Amino acid sequence: MSQSDGYIEIRFGPRWKYISPARVFIQNFIAIALSDQVKADSIAMATSELLENAVKYGTTDDTQCIVQAFTASGTIQASVTNQATAQGAAELEAIFQKIMGGDPLEAYIAQMREAATRSDGKSQLGLARIRYETGAEMKLEVTAGYQVTVAIVVK
Amino acid sequence: MNRLNISPVDQDKIKVDVLDNGEGLMVRLVGDIDMEDPSLVLDPLFEKIHQGMVAQKIPFIVADFNGLTFLNSSGIKAVAKWIMKLAMLPPAQKYQIRIAHNKAITWQVTSLPTLTYLVPGAVKIE
Repeated sequence: MSQSDGYIEIRFGPRWKYISPARVFIQNFIAIALSDQVKADSIAMATSELLENAVKYGTTDDTQCIVQAFTASGTIQASVTNQATAQGAAELEAIFQKIMGGDPLEAYIAQMREAATRSDGKSQLGLARIRYETGAEMKLEVTAGYQVTVAIVVK
Repeated sequence: MNRLNISPVDQDKIKVDVLDNGEGLMVRLVGDIDMEDPSLVLDPLFEKIHQGMVAQKIPFIVADFNGLTFLNSSGIKAVAKWIMKLAMLPPAQKYQIRIAHNKAITWQVTSLPTLTYLVPGAVKIE
């Protein structure tokens, strides 16, 4: 973890009901750390989307979220880590590759149109939404054992 | 109640009311949509609204998001699915969705305008 002016680390068993309090906690942390409510709202939305993915597709009883604030630059780094299956990790890599190319708005609209026609219950919209709505730099890391981490940096 | 006889929804953290609104209708969403599968609530509701709008030739509906404090991407999918139904209608049956939003809520400012790109002319931001 790089040197920041403050960070929080949240670990919880992957239960849907814990996402909402985690989102509110992160929102309050950023609002206090940066005195920037818009950024706090945006990153709370982004981490909430990442946590939803982690809870939906995680395979073990552990989801980790780290949020760091850099007050001088107003930068926030956030990451969510969970264990996935080989198939889940491959799907995530494919979605990531698809939405990271081209214009963020066009990629988001294309994903929305595709989501509207899906019948498998998935939306696959979260990453495209984060990229467009926060302007974040985004990175995906998958280890050999299929532990996945999605990291975002919002300046 | 409203002219389509659609009952209010009060489930989990979300309340939805459908109201008569002059020549049009209003669907008012209040609360948080952050459940795992909001389509269970929203898809049947939007389908009823869509069928009723077309059958009764109602020209517009205001989708009032002012009281909605959070909408996850699965909820956005449900709204997008409703909007995309308009693309399938012949011109004589089309109606307009007017989105009323709260500029003090960040996600509403960034998320809701994107819905206007799905079906050109079908959605207007108020």
